[in-house]
Amino acid sequence: MSAEDWQLLWFTGRMAALSTCLVLPVGLALAWSLARARWRGKALVEALVSLPLVLPPVVTGLVLLKLFGRRGPLGHWLYQHLGWEVVFTWKAVVLALAVMSLPLFVWAARASLQEVNPLLEQLARTLGAGEWRVLFTITLPLARRGIIAGTMLAFARALGEFGATIMVAGNIPGQTTTLPVAIYYSVELGKDSRAWMLAGLSATLAFLAIWATQRLLRRPKR
Amino acid sequence: MNHGLRASFVKRFDDAVVIEICGLALGPDPEVTVLFGPSGCGKTTVLRCLAGLERPDEGTILFGEEVWFASAGRRPLPPQRRKVGFVPQDYALFPHLSVERNIGYGLYGLPAGERRGRVAEAMRWLGLEGLEGRRPGALSGGQQQRAALARALVVRPRLLLLDEPLCALDAPARLRVRNQLRRMLRRLSIPTLLVTHDRADALALGDTLWVMNQGKLLQHGLAHEVFSRPANLEAAAIVAIETVQPGRVLKTAGGLATVAVGAATLTALPLDLETAAEEVYVCIRAEEVILVKGPSVPSSARNCLAGTVCSLAREGPMVRVGLDCGFPLAALLTPQACEEMFLHQGDAVSALIKAPHIHLIPRPD
Amino acid sequence: MPILLLVLGAGPAGRGGEQAGKGRATVIVFAAASLTDCLKEIAGGYEKRTGDRVVLNLAASSTLAVQVRAGARADLFFSADEAGMQALEDGGLIVKGTRRSRLSNSLAIIVAAEGGAEVNSPQDLAGAKIKRVALGDPQAVPAGVYAREYLRRLKLWSALEPKVVPMESVRAALAAVESGNVDAGIVYKTDAAVSRKVRIACEAPREDGPRISYPVALLADAPQPEAARGFLEHLGSEQAEAVFRKFGFIVLAGPVP
Repeated sequence: MSAEDWQLLWFTGRMAALSTCLVLPVGLALAWSLARARWRGKALVEALVSLPLVLPPVVTGLVLLKLFGRRGPLGHWLYQHLGWEVVFTWKAVVLALAVMSLPLFVWAARASLQEVNPLLEQLARTLGAGEWRVLFTITLPLARRGIIAGTMLAFARALGEFGATIMVAGNIPGQTTTLPVAIYYSVELGKDSRAWMLAGLSATLAFLAIWATQRLLRRPKR
Repeated sequence: MNHGLRASFVKRFDDAVVIEICGLALGPDPEVTVLFGPSGCGKTTVLRCLAGLERPDEGTILFGEEVWFASAGRRPLPPQRRKVGFVPQDYALFPHLSVERNIGYGLYGLPAGERRGRVAEAMRWLGLEGLEGRRPGALSGGQQQRAALARALVVRPRLLLLDEPLCALDAPARLRVRNQLRRMLRRLSIPTLLVTHDRADALALGDTLWVMNQGKLLQHGLAHEVFSRPANLEAAAIVAIETVQPGRVLKTAGGLATVAVGAATLTALPLDLETAAEEVYVCIRAEEVILVKGPSVPSSARNCLAGTVCSLAREGPMVRVGLDCGFPLAALLTPQACEEMFLHQGDAVSALIKAPHIHLIPRPD
Repeated sequence: MPILLLVLGAGPAGRGGEQAGKGRATVIVFAAASLTDCLKEIAGGYEKRTGDRVVLNLAASSTLAVQVRAGARADLFFSADEAGMQALEDGGLIVKGTRRSRLSNSLAIIVAAEGGAEVNSPQDLAGAKIKRVALGDPQAVPAGVYAREYLRRLKLWSALEPKVVPMESVRAALAAVESGNVDAGIVYKTDAAVSRKVRIACEAPREDGPRISYPVALLADAPQPEAARGFLEHLGSEQAEAVFRKFGFIVLAGPVP
């Protein structure tokens, strides 16, 4: 493995970690409101959040490209007000990874939030706990298994994301090229041995992520 | 200034079930009030509305000067501010916290030293020493109940709401824990509303009693009085008086009423009749019927009815004897008594009932 | 991969030009992306005249070469650089004697037609206003390789390399400039000509630019060699050359050494 390959690995890991940090708060808020509250338009939001799971990733990438391109509504606003360029930069990588891994996190977190007995939360309230305290001392700790699993799923998905990333961030070596993109282009260029090496790396990362999840979720021996 | 709880409210559910509470009052005296009724009559919902976990549709809930709920007003007072101790049926201990942290949960704002002190005191008082570090899952039923109680009491609530405190316990623990609970409730001076469907629990634990059925309060009074003298047929069914038969008052003289029931005539005390109602229901508790086999002897009981044994059935630790005395009558005997009397189906017996044990309820035409 | 519709009983392929057309043969042509528009026109005319079908698989030549090496079935390979063709010849995948290089092109620097940046010379690309420049991937796509060579000749490559956004084909680079997501791009002059959403900011004169060459050859594993030869001959015909010139390609006289 060359220095370039290590950089690739480091970059991919960093982007996946950043995107997971973005997914956590947004995903938790979404998962909580979908699990608990009852409000109009809930079904619509549910469908929207699940969309990146079912759509071909390139379609999601296309939508992101249109929205965040220099001439797109969001891209233009960001450039005008914050001077941010999104498309073809690392920001687009984080965006694509986050959008593609969000549904997985919300799915897992919501399921475990729904399983938390609401009576426990209500009881906490009778003991004087305010809503935020109930959330952090009762709800989230009791739902932590699903939240951890969701986080690891989101991270692993981000590590392997390709279709949306290639559309919205391109393949700029050193700037936006992630491991999966590099594998694809190695094949394109006929560099088979490099492609296999990178693929092996990718598989190792995925394996490590799953193994870490298993360990985190293992029930302590009584 | 009135310090107690006063509640009258209505709560509707989608499937047309309605809970209508009128005039529920607790305190200011620190007594134990039992809310007694069959499963599904809405008792738990009443507790949850009082605790602030559910919101009534109309009515008011007041505690002293505080308005906890008023349909025509602002938002109801949230449960965090009501200072009510709530212990649900399955105790709802936080499974991810130790017993110590469970009990101390409500003492969030206090400095750590004081919190630890109060928790230790509560655990001592409830006999939970040594269990501080355990998780709720590792406690026995009785220990869980005491831990849930400790958790509710340690914040010094103004009102205590207990939902079927003994129903999750198995038979041997039940008796023991009931006695413990009774002693403890006597020592606390907190007005308590205790919900149960068990007659023995109600009689043992409650000072006063509300009878409830199908979402409505039927009768209020001292526990044993309500059980002996239900105000109407519905209440009688709830307090499960075994023999309820239609009858007719023939005459009232000298503080006694003569009532024709089926083919028999009874002498009863007409205490509960406001006017000279003719049509009545006659209520006789099975445990107040004494059976005699063989020739009748003079006794102080005003009523001595000749009859035959129709059925014998075990009911828990007792035997329920169905008799035909000119009307269907139920008696409750110990199995030993049945054996000693060689009671069998078809035997001729006499049933002795004292006049005060025959309770009359007016029967609308 | 296009679905092959093999029709039984193809008649004998005549020598270039007219064919009696006893049933349709399908000629599969793998061609560089920059040849998209002109080949479509040429193929259309050929189909009408001969009754054969021509199926075009258009992508970066480097990608196509990889596909052929991996065993994709094709009749003709029309590359945008000699390197790709050479690799196939070295691998014995080309029928000897059929390789011919008659076409060339020139490079142009393009910007968006509306609101595009001010670029009057290649040196302007190094300026602060130009943040991103789209090229075909300089590692493999011929247009990118040529562009890099051009910039190297002008000693601008090291300044521009960090701004380069590599695209998977020259047409993708064109699209990037059209969308406004990059500030400028280097594509073939012929590509710039077919798009109304870009304008040529400045051209690379042929003398200064790298030597661009478009070789074409018959593939050894061609499923329809006779029909393919027919189309190959047609590509060298005067009608075809006229079309190439119309689109802005440079037709060379004689084989390019």
